[in-house]
Amino acid sequence: MDETQRDAPASAPDPVGRREFLSSALRLGGGVLVFLAGAPAIGEAGEGYDWTQHRWAYLIDTEKCIGCGSCVRACKAENDVPDGFFRTWVERYVVSPEASHVDSPKGGLEGFPPIQTPFAPTKSFFVPKMCNHCKETPCVQVCPVGASYRTQDGVVLVDGERCIGCGYCVQACPYGSRFLSPETHTAEKCTWCYHRITKGLRPACVEVCPTATRQFGDMRREDDPVRLAIARGRVSVLQPHLLTEPQCFYLALDKEVR
Amino acid sequence: MESARHVFRVLFLLVVGIAIFSIGRTFLVPKSYGAYGPYRFDNVAEQAAIRLPRHGGAAACGACHPERLKALSAGAHRTVACEVCHAPLALHVRDGAKVADMAVDRSFTMCARCHRRLEGRPAAFPQIVLAQHQGGVEGTACIECHDPHGPKL
Repeated sequence: MDETQRDAPASAPDPVGRREFLSSALRLGGGVLVFLAGAPAIGEAGEGYDWTQHRWAYLIDTEKCIGCGSCVRACKAENDVPDGFFRTWVERYVVSPEASHVDSPKGGLEGFPPIQTPFAPTKSFFVPKMCNHCKETPCVQVCPVGASYRTQDGVVLVDGERCIGCGYCVQACPYGSRFLSPETHTAEKCTWCYHRITKGLRPACVEVCPTATRQFGDMRREDDPVRLAIARGRVSVLQPHLLTEPQCFYLALDKEVR
Repeated sequence: MESARHVFRVLFLLVVGIAIFSIGRTFLVPKSYGAYGPYRFDNVAEQAAIRLPRHGGAAACGACHPERLKALSAGAHRTVACEVCHAPLALHVRDGAKVADMAVDRSFTMCARCHRRLEGRPAAFPQIVLAQHQGGVEGTACIECHDPHGPKL
């Protein structure tokens, strides 16, 4: 490089310095790469749907849940969830100060049978579970092929075309929200019914919940009931110590719930 | 001159390498990959159009059955979506036309999912202990006495 500078014709008014040359070369190289990658197809996610105008959030009031399992059945019907797998499920906690019992027969698909515990329960409740659509999501970080991603409206999705079914994300999810479908052999999970919410509908589980345990809202709308409940109420999330920043918020969550 | 040939060889290999890389890349990387992050952006639209919504909601049911919706809205089951006891709307109506009879779950099991006395349910929620209920035999259809659209005690 020094040589180039020395050999530069004296008539050249402004010889290219090493720093300048390198920075231009890098910029040019970057530009070439972007050009080779092809101009990104920027458009709307769905017809007439602008994902920058929404940021979805989910609110679950565990004190209202009656454990009927309507949500689990609706999810299965809406999303063709394979038998034995669940995108959402309901857990029953039967607790005393000395012991606790947790069950979720068939994920709550058929509701819950009466239960006898060897201890005298002092409290019991149902907790609906699903993908938490974390902001700092571990499942997206571990995907080796870029099949898992988080949309700008806050939904974690799986691209079935790119997914190679390695199952890293299934193991990475601390909430057990993902599974490998025996039909497609790719990872599947709750999408907050992306095919519904992009058309102005609510997710199927929220649609059928008879007690308003499950609520769905838009954090970008100032007057949204869910946004207000999260903003003003005392909400918690599952496993906050993992710092995954879940976007499913819970009311009246018990210490027994993981 | 020997040194010039060395430089030429290196440059030639570099150009060939870049060409192979860029040609290979255009084949291997999907078109919309990287538009908003390390994922295929086209998939967002694909997910939004993955299938037609199957649950229509009470308002959609009420478009054809306003009297039923009105009766339901007046009773204690006003918060229960039609599609909890009936099948999802898409199995009954497509493109505004009826495609099949609406399936209805009239079973005891259906009612029991919500109303059998169960550990875990909120105490204020109406629950039935079968043994203490009017001739309570498991399996007897509750709706023989109770109107599911406007249940009264």
